[in-house]
Amino acid sequence: MPLTGTRDLGAIADAAALVPNLDTEEWELKGAQHLQLHYELGGDRTGLLPPALHPSIPPTLLVNVTHVPESEAGAFTFATVRVGCRSGARPRGLLVRGYCDSPSAAAVLRERWGLPLEIADVRLDPSYARAATSVTLDGATILAGELVDPQPITGADVQYMATLALARVARDGEETLLIQVDPDYTFDRAQRGTARLTAFDAEAWALPGATAAHPISASLTTVDVTLPRLRYLVHPEKPPMQAVERLPQPQPA
Amino acid sequence: MKFGVFFEISVPRPWGPETEYTVYQNCLEQARLADELGFDQAWAVEHHFLEEYSHCSAPEIFLTAIAMQTKQIRVGHGIVTCVPELNSPIRAAERAAVLDLVSGGRLEFGTGRSATWTELGGFGANPDETKKTWDEYVRVIPKMWTQERFGWQGRAFSMPERTIVPKPYQKPHPPMWVAVTSVGTEIDAAERGLGSLGLSFGGVGEQAQKIEGYRKRIQSCDPVGEFVNEQVNTVSFLYCHEDDEKGITTGQQLAGTFNYLSEQTLATRQAFPTPSYLSPGLLYQLRRESTGGPEGRVPEGLTIGDPHRVAQAVARWEEAGVDRINFLLNVAEMVPQEDVLASMRLFAKEVMPQFQRDEATEPAGATAAGGA
Repeated sequence: MPLTGTRDLGAIADAAALVPNLDTEEWELKGAQHLQLHYELGGDRTGLLPPALHPSIPPTLLVNVTHVPESEAGAFTFATVRVGCRSGARPRGLLVRGYCDSPSAAAVLRERWGLPLEIADVRLDPSYARAATSVTLDGATILAGELVDPQPITGADVQYMATLALARVARDGEETLLIQVDPDYTFDRAQRGTARLTAFDAEAWALPGATAAHPISASLTTVDVTLPRLRYLVHPEKPPMQAVERLPQPQPA
Repeated sequence: MKFGVFFEISVPRPWGPETEYTVYQNCLEQARLADELGFDQAWAVEHHFLEEYSHCSAPEIFLTAIAMQTKQIRVGHGIVTCVPELNSPIRAAERAAVLDLVSGGRLEFGTGRSATWTELGGFGANPDETKKTWDEYVRVIPKMWTQERFGWQGRAFSMPERTIVPKPYQKPHPPMWVAVTSVGTEIDAAERGLGSLGLSFGGVGEQAQKIEGYRKRIQSCDPVGEFVNEQVNTVSFLYCHEDDEKGITTGQQLAGTFNYLSEQTLATRQAFPTPSYLSPGLLYQLRRESTGGPEGRVPEGLTIGDPHRVAQAVARWEEAGVDRINFLLNVAEMVPQEDVLASMRLFAKEVMPQFQRDEATEPAGATAAGGA
């Protein structure tokens, strides 16, 4: 049996988003710019994951920064750092803390998808030679990185992992759960380059001890993102084969 | 129709001091029995760093051990990874020649390029390059085997002229194959006159279409070796038991465990965006085809159940145009060794005779270069 996580996520759940209703509607975010820096994760490979998840072989660290130029919540940019893992046999990225530059957008993303976003200054600055990102919290840089030497690829070449977001769900009392968020992507442009991370404060992302050990790849896309209806939950303390809960879905008319 | 065995050598946790030793010894015992029972080929993968799923990182040594403990069974590299960071083409040619010599000409030489970032990243290989380096390897290795002096200026590697020794025992050289997992690789195989080493489990209908395309295209191939190796192998799980329900249940557990372990690795496509790995890859196909049967039914082509059911699945593969099925016998030691051996014996007694024909012998399907 593959290794499983050892982390008690309940200990950090107080800061997680409270989701009052799992029956959320889709939200389409048109023309988003999305940067992903993909690294191999250094250090303890089970200590960042709960018992419901397996570390992938090798474990990975996924930095994702999304700039949305317009939406019902206005323009906003948010950043996440996830731990690449497996829920049973499925590839997933565990998210326990992220940051957004817009309080109104963060509120929507917290309440409807359980994304554990706090407020910080989040930047994404693409140019022809590179795409730089930074996250600044209370004057301290907690993340800085870039994609360098971008080369054109197609959207078909890009594969994003679905997120498991740590959240508190109000359902017959309050439960600490992982909400699966697996958006649909319609790609307009895609570029691949080399990932370079110059600052990463693991504690600020609630990933104590995590290190970005070895760069794998970086990609920058222009993409329409549709945040989905919620379909699955994961119970973090259960064994992997018993942890996934399928949510009831509306019947087609 | 012929039958072989296929070794991934999966080693379950917890790993004690004897675990890997026991798994290796069990596999060798299975190979010896396969030889006695009339299975005609034993294949071993090359994988690196794939914890639990496959601890078969030095297949040339494992296959040599099989060859030394058996009399008839042919030994197959399934596959040699044709990526310079993992294998020098010169060393691959040398090792293969030695294995062919010590086995008395029993080598089958499978080629491929690896599908995981776990492996490619571990060796610092560039996923963009692997299709190109594979193509170069399959063209130069037969020359290394057949030319007295060989030199090369290429993309994957270059070397001044040398005499590469020893030469293989089989003349002009061992049959060559390519692992077919990505869409279109069967046509790559056909265009080069290589055998199609299908590594999908199940999915007979889809495979039949690929085989038809392969058979058609290979008729006008430009062989990279000295002869055309027109053969199609596929892989399936084998668990044959007198009790059909027991056979099905155990067989499905094998398939499920295999897929579960394999999905823990990091597919290249998941980590490194590149047109070189457009297909979801082997692992996705395995899960889809070996566990994707209609509700409550055994997926078509999965060779599990009682002898009658297994024979029906084999017949379906035969209809689809497959020349040989290589069986994965156990996964993560979940089936006790005695039961694995009993399954092999039952298959050989009840199923194998139904498919024995008078067929040309080795290398089956081989024709002289240009004579296809």
